[in-house]
Formats: sequence, C-alpha cells, structure tokens
Amino acid sequence: MAVRRVEELMGTVASLDVRDAQVRPDVLDEAFAWLHEVDRRFSPYKEDSEVSRFGRGELSSDDASAELREVLRLCEDLRIRSDGAFDATRWRADGRPDPTGLVKGWAVERAALILDDGDLRSWCLNVGGDVMARGGPEPGAPWRVGIRHPDDATATASVVGVRDLAVATSGGYERGDHIIDGRTGLAVAGDVRSVTVVGPSMTLADGYATAAFVMGREGVRWVSGIAGYGAAAITADGRIVSSPVYQALVLRADGGAGGTPAG
Amino acid sequence: MRTPTGDVQVEITVKGGRLVDVTALQLPDGDGHSRRISEIVSPKLHDDAIQAGSARIHGVSGATYTSMGYARSLQSALDQVGV
Repeated sequence: MAVRRVEELMGTVASLDVRDAQVRPDVLDEAFAWLHEVDRRFSPYKEDSEVSRFGRGELSSDDASAELREVLRLCEDLRIRSDGAFDATRWRADGRPDPTGLVKGWAVERAALILDDGDLRSWCLNVGGDVMARGGPEPGAPWRVGIRHPDDATATASVVGVRDLAVATSGGYERGDHIIDGRTGLAVAGDVRSVTVVGPSMTLADGYATAAFVMGREGVRWVSGIAGYGAAAITADGRIVSSPVYQALVLRADGGAGGTPAG
Repeated sequence: MRTPTGDVQVEITVKGGRLVDVTALQLPDGDGHSRRISEIVSPKLHDDAIQAGSARIHGVSGATYTSMGYARSLQSALDQVGV
C-alpha cells in the first residue's frame, strides 16, 4: 500500500510518499503537525513568530526556545565550517542572526525522526525541494530523485538513486532569490546556477548546499572534503561539476547506477 | 598522465552516439591531500533534461519553490500521478 500526503506549509509545499505496508495515519499527522508548528514559530513572514520577535530584539538568546537556540548554534557551526561563506548574521542589516537558511532542512530532519520513530521504513519526504529518502520505493531499490533543471521547472538535469540520504539544492532561479555571500555581504554572482548536496543529514545537506552555492565551483571541492557528502554544481554553460560521492549515486538512462550526471 | 603535482586521469566516454567528455582531476589542497573532483562536460544538458520523463523519478530536489512555483513544477505533477 502506498500513501501520499501533500500539504502547503512554510510558504512552500510538503510532499510525502510512503510505501510501508502498514501506515498509522497518526504518525503522518504528527510529522505534518511538526512542520506546521515550525511554520508558526520560525516563519520570518509571520510577525509574531519566535524568529520575527527574535529579529526585532524582543526575544533574547537566553529567552529563546531550545529549538531556536539549536538552529542558531547550527548556523554558527556552519559559518565556521564554511569559512564565512554561510553567515546567518549577514542577512539582516542589523547583524542579528537570521536562522531561515537552515530552518527548512532542520525541520525536515526532525520530521524524519517522527516518521522513523513511528516505524516507517520506506518513505520520501520533499519539503520545498529538500528531499529526505528513507529506504526505497521497493525492497533493494533506491528512491529516484531528479535535480531541477535551472531553466525549466518541469525538467531535470540529473537523477540520483538514494536510500537513507538527504538531497538539498541551493540556487538562484526560484523566488528571485538573492543568496548572500557571507564573506562579502553581497548577493552571490557567479556562473553556478545551482548546487545539490547529498548526504546522511538533511540539516547539513541543506546548509552545505547553500554554502557551496556561495562558493561557486570551489563549493563542490569543499563538500568533497566532508566525509559522507557529495555535491554537483550546474554551471551557466550547461556543465555539471560533481564529486565522486555524487557520481556514484547518479542513475543512468538505462536505469543502472553510477555514471556521468548528464549521461 | 603524470604532472608535477600529481596524477591527472582523463577519460573520454561516448554514450549513445553522444560524446561526453569526462575529465577527472586530482588536485592537492593546502594540506597536501588530493581531493578528487570530476568535471563532466555535457554539451547537451537540455537534451538530457528532455529525457527526464523516462527516468520515472519519485521526487525533485531544487531551490526552494513557493506554493505557486510548486504548482508549475515537476514535483506537483509527480504528486498528482497515482503511485
């Protein structure tokens, strides 16, 4: 039996595909309730959210919830690890840290824990382009995740087969986004259209994708130095620069695994 | 082939009549450890994208889409198809 649930939240859409033979609806309810809770508490577009109140200085670090403090700490860890390419303090003019860049991946990772604790073993959760794949659609088979083509929302530029891996992509082609380079405080401007990161943690894949997008092609090399993580950058001239971990996951057109991303 | 700073492996692949050049580089970083990256040159990224429909994918990873962006996306088409 397969169950699919799709809900609008966090300004985007969450899609869950579950293939377990037995699915307790309350487990799915709890996972989606968590995502809605994150929306309420962490949305920068909701005036009374914790994040907005923190941003206005109405909430100090000491008074912030354990979750907000955790996300802020993760942002700081990533700032250090990326040598400032990712810097949550560079998004706001007043320099107060803005955790928005990591919240989605962190929320998905927590939703994954709920699904896992509910004994679900075969599911794929996509929240706004952050994909967490648990098990596979059939025994032994990987979830097939396409990477969005920078020029066409209905097409993919690459397909990876993943089991128990997260896939996150950072790019400039949606929402007129301007990703800020933490080292300069300015919007990223370069020839990389998007960077996709795969690895065991959704939170880290999300953060590494953003940091690597800031770094441009060098970002792929940076991610390749992090054990367990792979990356692929799509460049403006239609190339894919990728690391061996990513390449090993690429699905060929004939359905086989491990090949050139565009082949 | 050997260079002063290490090995460079060059591999050229032809698939289905298309030439896909693969250049694998082993580049030492500051610590002297080689970090292997491959640069895949695909002259036909767009054509590969057209083939996406045959890949029978389950989901799409991309930069964060809004709800409206979702409505136009491949992910929404996948979500509407029966499993």
